[in-house]
Amino acid sequence: MAEFFQHVIDGISVGAIYALIALGYTMVYGVLKLINFAHGDVFMVGAMMGWYMSARWTGEARNPNIGGALLVTLFSMLVCGCLGFVIERAAYRPLRNAPRLNSLITAIGVSFFLEYGGQYLFGPNPRVFGVLPRGTALHFGPVSLGYVDVVTIIVSVALMIVLQRIVFHTRMGTAMRAVSFNASVAALMGVNTDKVISFTFVLGSVLAAVAGILYASKYPSVQPLMGLMPGLKAFVAAVLGGIGNVPGAMLGGLVLGLAEQIVSGYLSSSWRDAVAFGILILVLLVRPTGLLGRGEAEKV
Amino acid sequence: MAGLFGGSALANTKRAALNWVPFVAAIPLLWVIQHFFAEQPDWEYAFQNINHIGIAIILAVSLNLVNGLTGQFSIGHAGFMAVGGYVSAVLLMRGPTDDPYRLFFICSIAGGAGAAALAGWLVGKPSLRLRGDYLAIVTLGFGEIIRVVIENTRLFGGAIGLSPIPRYADFTWIWTAAIATILISKRLRDSTHGRAFLSVREDEVAAEAMGVDTTGYKVRAFVISAGLAGVAGALSGAFEGNLSPQSFTFVRSFEIVAMVVLGGMGSITGSTLAAAVLTLLPEYLRALANLRMVIYSVLLVVLMLVRPRGLFGTREVWDLLPWRKRARPLPRKVELSEALIDVRHATIRFGGLTAVSDFSLQVEPRELVALIGPNGAGKTTVFNLLTGVYPPTEGTILVAGRDTRGLAPHDIAHLGLARTFQNIRLFRELTAFDNVRLGCHHLTRESMGAAVRKGQLSEVEEKWVAQRAEELLGVMGLLHRRDDLAKNLPYGEQRRLEIARALATGPKALLLDEPAAGTNAKEKAELMQLIRSIRDRFGVAIVLIEHDMKLVMNVSERILVLDHGVTIAEGLPREIQTNARVIEAYLGEKYAREHATQIAAGQVKP
Repeated sequence: MAEFFQHVIDGISVGAIYALIALGYTMVYGVLKLINFAHGDVFMVGAMMGWYMSARWTGEARNPNIGGALLVTLFSMLVCGCLGFVIERAAYRPLRNAPRLNSLITAIGVSFFLEYGGQYLFGPNPRVFGVLPRGTALHFGPVSLGYVDVVTIIVSVALMIVLQRIVFHTRMGTAMRAVSFNASVAALMGVNTDKVISFTFVLGSVLAAVAGILYASKYPSVQPLMGLMPGLKAFVAAVLGGIGNVPGAMLGGLVLGLAEQIVSGYLSSSWRDAVAFGILILVLLVRPTGLLGRGEAEKV
Repeated sequence: MAGLFGGSALANTKRAALNWVPFVAAIPLLWVIQHFFAEQPDWEYAFQNINHIGIAIILAVSLNLVNGLTGQFSIGHAGFMAVGGYVSAVLLMRGPTDDPYRLFFICSIAGGAGAAALAGWLVGKPSLRLRGDYLAIVTLGFGEIIRVVIENTRLFGGAIGLSPIPRYADFTWIWTAAIATILISKRLRDSTHGRAFLSVREDEVAAEAMGVDTTGYKVRAFVISAGLAGVAGALSGAFEGNLSPQSFTFVRSFEIVAMVVLGGMGSITGSTLAAAVLTLLPEYLRALANLRMVIYSVLLVVLMLVRPRGLFGTREVWDLLPWRKRARPLPRKVELSEALIDVRHATIRFGGLTAVSDFSLQVEPRELVALIGPNGAGKTTVFNLLTGVYPPTEGTILVAGRDTRGLAPHDIAHLGLARTFQNIRLFRELTAFDNVRLGCHHLTRESMGAAVRKGQLSEVEEKWVAQRAEELLGVMGLLHRRDDLAKNLPYGEQRRLEIARALATGPKALLLDEPAAGTNAKEKAELMQLIRSIRDRFGVAIVLIEHDMKLVMNVSERILVLDHGVTIAEGLPREIQTNARVIEAYLGEKYAREHATQIAAGQVKP
C-alpha cells in the first residue's frame, strides 16, 4: 500500500508539471486552433535558461536556496515570455489565414530550430541541474515526499489558481475567452485579437518556463531534446482533458501523470510512453472531445 | 451498367497490360543505369542520396494520398513505415539465405506492405470518424506506440535494432517502387476515386450528399497510403542493412508531412520534388556541421512563410502539357426518372427545441413543390432530415419506397435524392468540371484496382462522365467556366454550379435550398424559369425552399408553409395566398386581425 501511495505522490508531482505545460497548449489551441508544437521546446528553453543562470552566471547551483531559485525562475519566465511573443509574431501571425496544416509545419520548423539551436549552443549532452535543495522534505510513515515534489505541487497549484483568476476574472481573460469562441466576432466587438493572441502565447510560455525549471529539478538534468517527450505528453494531457479547456488541461495532466507512474511502477518503465498514448487513443475513440470538452455540431 | 460498358475480360486485360508497358520497359533502363554508374566508387555517395530520395518519394507521395488528396491529417506515417520495415526485415532474416531471383525478397516486401496496410486499417477504421486535429493526434500516438512496442520486442531487436538485414534493395528496386508509387497515385487521382478523395477534402457534407461514402474513402486512402509506406520501410531496411527504432520517431513523420505540405497539398509533382529537396538539403548543408539542422529548420519556416501553398500549389506537371483536353460541348439525352418522397409525421428535437414537428410531405414524380416559411421555420432542417444529415426523432421517411432510417447521406443520394445548400458548399478548390464530375461518382463502377491498371471500363466510364458533366455545364450555362476553380466563380454561377453538380448524380428528386438567395429580381425570375425547364428536361421532382412568396407562386404547383417547425398550410399557390395563418406568420398577428376582411376578400397578399 505504501508503494502505491508513493506512486500516487510521484504521479501528482509529474502530473502537475504536465498540467502546467498542457495549459500553454490548450490556451493557444483555444484562441488560434493551432497545435503549437514548439511549446515543448519553449519548456526546454526555460529549463536551459535556468541552468545558465544558476550554474554559469551566478553561483546559485553550488548553494541551492529558495530565494535564488525564485530569481532564476523569474529570469527564465522573462526569457520564455519574450520567446513566446517573438515566435507568435514571426512564425505564426503571417500564416494566420493560411490552411491550418501550414501553421503546423511552421510550428514544427520552430520546434526543430529551438532543438537544434539548443544543441548548437548548449551541446548535445545533458548537464546537471540544481536550483532547489534536494532531499526529503516530509515523511508519512514509509511514504516520503521529496523537497522538489513539495515545491512542484505548491507552485503548480498556486499558478493554476492565478491562471483561473486571470482567465475568468480579468478583462484580458474575458477577451481570451471571447476570441476562442469566435475570433472575428470578438474583433467586431472591439477586442484587439492580435493583442489577446500575443498575451496568450506569453502566458503559456511563462508557465512552460516554470514547468521547465520544476521538471529539470526533479530529474536533475538539462539537455536540448528534453522538451520532446514532456511536450508531447502535455499535449496528450491537453487533449485528454478536452483541448481548449483550461480546467481540462489540469485534469488531463494529473490523470496522465498518475497513469504513467502507476504503470511504470507496477509494469515496466519502458512501456510508460505507450500507455500514455494508448489512454489517449481510447479516450478519443470513446469521447472524442476529451474528458471535459464539449462537442460542436457543424451547421449544414 | 455492365451492358453499357461491356467488353470482354480478355480485351480489358490486354489493354490494362499495355498501359503498363512503358513502366515495365523502364526497369531494364534503371538496371542499366545502376550497372554503369551506381557500382562505380566515385558515384557511391551520389547514389546513396538518390536512393534516399527514392524512398522519401514513396513516403511523401503515399502520405499525399491521405493528407493532400483526402485532406485528412495523419502525422504517424513513420509508424506504418516501421511496421512494413520490421515485418519484411524479420521475414528476410529468417528466410532462405540464398535468393538468386529475389523472389523471397518480393514476398517480404509484400508481407511488409500487407502488415502496414493492416495496421493502417486497424488505426484508420475507428479513428477516421474523428475530425482534423484529433485524427492527427491519434496517428501521432499510434506512431509512438509502434515505436515503443518495437523497442520492447525481442523479435524486433529491441532498442538496438535489427541487423544485418540482407542488402537486396538497390537503385533499381527503390526507383521501380518510387515510379510505381507515383503512377498508382496519379492514376487514382485521375479516376472517379481520386475525385471522391478530393471531395472529402473539400466538403464532407456535400460529398455525402453527392453519394460519396466519405468514411469508406478515408479508410481506403489510409490503407493504401499505409501499405505504400510499408513498402518504403521494407526497401529502407534492405537498403541500409539495419533498422533501429530511433529512425521511426515522430520527427521522421514530421519530415514526411513537411514534404507534402511544402510540395503543395495534393500535388503529386510537388510531393516528389519536395521529397528530393528536403532529402538533399541536410546533405548539402553538411559542410556547416552543427549549424546545418538549425539552418534546415529556418529554411523550413521561411519556405512556409514565403510559399504558404507549397512549391506547386495543387498543380501538376502534366497539367502544363499542351495536349491536355479542353472543353468540347456534346449534347446527350439524360434518362427519365420516377420519384417519390414520402415523409410521415417526422419530428426532430435538438435538446429541448423541437425544430420540426409532425411534418408530412408526399412528392410525386415530376412534381414541383415549394417549401416556404419565415426565417427559422425549419425548412432547411426538413432537407437535412430528407437527406439523412439528421435522423428524425420520430416518424418515418421513405425515399423511392425505401425507409431511410439508419442510412448514411450517401446511401440516400444513391436512392435518388440530390440537394444544393443554402450556404453554397461547392468543392472550392476543384474546377467546375471536377465538381460536376464528382456528382457522377456513384454512377461509376470501376474498381480502384482497375483505375490503377487503366482498364477499358474505366476509360469508357471516364469518357461518359466527362460528356455528362460537360452537357450539364452546358445546360446551366457554365461551359465557359469549365476549367475555373469553383471558388473563383461569381455568386450566381456558383449557385447554378451546385445545381449542375446535384443533377449529375442522376437524381429522381432535386432539393434546392434557396437557390435564388442573394440574386436580384431579374436573376430570380430567370432562375425560376431555369428550374422549371430543368424539371421538364430531366423529369425530376423538385422541392424548392424559398423566402420570396411571389416567386414561388409562379413556379410551383403545390406549396407547403412552415412556421416554427409546424406545417401551417398546404395547398395550391392560390389557396396559400389567401390563407389567414400564412399571412399571420408572414405579416404578424396584429396585421392579420386588423385586415381580416381584406384578407378574406383576397386583397392582401403576403
